[in-house]
Amino acid sequence: MSLIEARGLSKHFKVLNHREGLVGAMKDLFSTDFRVVKAVDDISFAIEPGEIVGYIGPNGAGKSTTIKMLTGILQPTSGRLIVDSIVPYENRQKNVRNMGVIFGQRTQLWWDLPVVESFKILRDIYSIDENTYNSQLGLFQELVDLRSLYSTPVRKLSLGQRMLCDLAAAFLHNPKVILLDEPTIGLDISVKSKIRTVIRELNDTHRTTIILTTHDLGDVEALCRRLMIIDKGKIIYDGEINRVTELFGVYRTLKVQIFQYGDGMMDLLKARLTDKFGKASEIVVENTEPGWTDVTVNQAVVPLLDVLNFLMGTLPVKDVRIVEVSMVSVVQKIYDGALR
Amino acid sequence: MKPYLGTIKGTLIAWFIYRFSFFFTLAGNLLYMTLIFFLWKSIYSGADTIHGMTFNQTFIYLALAGSLFILFTPGTDWTISNRIIDGSLIVDLLKPVDFQILTLARTTGFGIFNVAVITIPSLLVLFLGFRADMKLGIGLLFFPIGIMLSFLISFAIDFSLGLTSFYTESIWGISTTKTAITSLLSGALIPLPFFPQSVQNILRLLPFQAIYNIPLSMVTSPNLSVLDYARALGVQVFWVVLLFAFCRWFYRRAFRVLTVSGG
Repeated sequence: MSLIEARGLSKHFKVLNHREGLVGAMKDLFSTDFRVVKAVDDISFAIEPGEIVGYIGPNGAGKSTTIKMLTGILQPTSGRLIVDSIVPYENRQKNVRNMGVIFGQRTQLWWDLPVVESFKILRDIYSIDENTYNSQLGLFQELVDLRSLYSTPVRKLSLGQRMLCDLAAAFLHNPKVILLDEPTIGLDISVKSKIRTVIRELNDTHRTTIILTTHDLGDVEALCRRLMIIDKGKIIYDGEINRVTELFGVYRTLKVQIFQYGDGMMDLLKARLTDKFGKASEIVVENTEPGWTDVTVNQAVVPLLDVLNFLMGTLPVKDVRIVEVSMVSVVQKIYDGALR
Repeated sequence: MKPYLGTIKGTLIAWFIYRFSFFFTLAGNLLYMTLIFFLWKSIYSGADTIHGMTFNQTFIYLALAGSLFILFTPGTDWTISNRIIDGSLIVDLLKPVDFQILTLARTTGFGIFNVAVITIPSLLVLFLGFRADMKLGIGLLFFPIGIMLSFLISFAIDFSLGLTSFYTESIWGISTTKTAITSLLSGALIPLPFFPQSVQNILRLLPFQAIYNIPLSMVTSPNLSVLDYARALGVQVFWVVLLFAFCRWFYRRAFRVLTVSGG
């Protein structure tokens, strides 16, 4: 049997339709005008022991809602959810005993206490035996030098140090399931890679099942073999990560800032690019932030440099940036049938 | 039990780190004692007893009430409310422990520290500095038990107030109202015997006087029979049980708001 099993899982929220202005706000006091938001809408999946699953999607797609249902904090509106043969919502305390959770923006460490005191409190809370406690911390000591931070109060840690300590805290009771919600948010490259090493190592050693929610496609590439993509409450992809990395690996977006940007510029640009590279080139022109025009290129069809050279030659270009494809466009590609 | 003991210990350590704020609270409390000393001295000028209480009894009653007020105001309602509003409540809910007992453990850590750093020094100043003349009696043995029960009653009221944040988003109004009502109706500001008899009869039916008046009476009238004290403790136990039962019920209800409509 799978460790985690969801079947037809849904979570709907009732949200008040707010009206505009002061009068509207006053009317809202007595309003019964609700709409239903389907945060998670009839999803099914099964996760085996020892898997690392990347769970990605744009903001508001339903990732956190799913995570909260797994922890038992949210009650599903309908459907079945079982974690290690426990229904999380019905038995919250028993469920979280075998779970470690990290919400990237929150810490479970005690703000004013030295790091090691938080570990000791956790040892009491989970009744962790001396052996497990020492071996888990020893493992962390080998991977990242944590002991040097033990006596530092949490509020004096840098974001990266704090995240490493939080990670140690989540793994301390050697749980079967770890839920990581944005563990690398706001961290620099070197800390990110440390965190990835730790996660991979712990998964190897204990066969801990890990669900990783993230915006950073680099995280999933580095850690997961399986990927689930959720958008608007529906799982739109569940399978091997390779097919997805191939997809977003070849796309690059050129962000171009153009002098004397006028109204007709976008259309002009589109027309010229189609003229030059043909319709089959699949070049997408968008306007995502003021002053910048995004040109997304499929490198398998047209070399990025050609497009860049062409743009530089035909338009008064002020500035250029090259970025990897964003989560939103990956999701868009999947909708457009890229994986079918 | 172990999870909660660990939490108590952690809270204690954290409070020791905040020690300076406590020194100021202690200084403030001593100032308050001086203030009520002179205030009631002038009220008592020429009178031996007012409403059956001597100056000495009134002073001890109110000076102790002042120190207990600090002990019974750990701000649990604010803490819970803040955790609910900024969402950090979720961290508590991810622990395999009961939220109410966890909160009680945190409050207890505050209480223990407070007794050591404020209540006991204040008592020393009261009896050595102001030379308050306290009669000894069996009531003094019941006083610490009374205080612990008061602490629990006070906690239960704060806890359920904090939970109202699930519905109201801000508890500023409710919380200040609660402080005003408790101070006035419990004997914390004016000794209960000073109220008209008819008002006293009503007040004795409310939980507030069980927080301050009951333990304080044990000190000001320490020579009643054991049965009297047992009855007083009985009233406190009654309120502890009733209010904790209410907390449970209310917690379940409020928690449903979270689990069903999200946080």
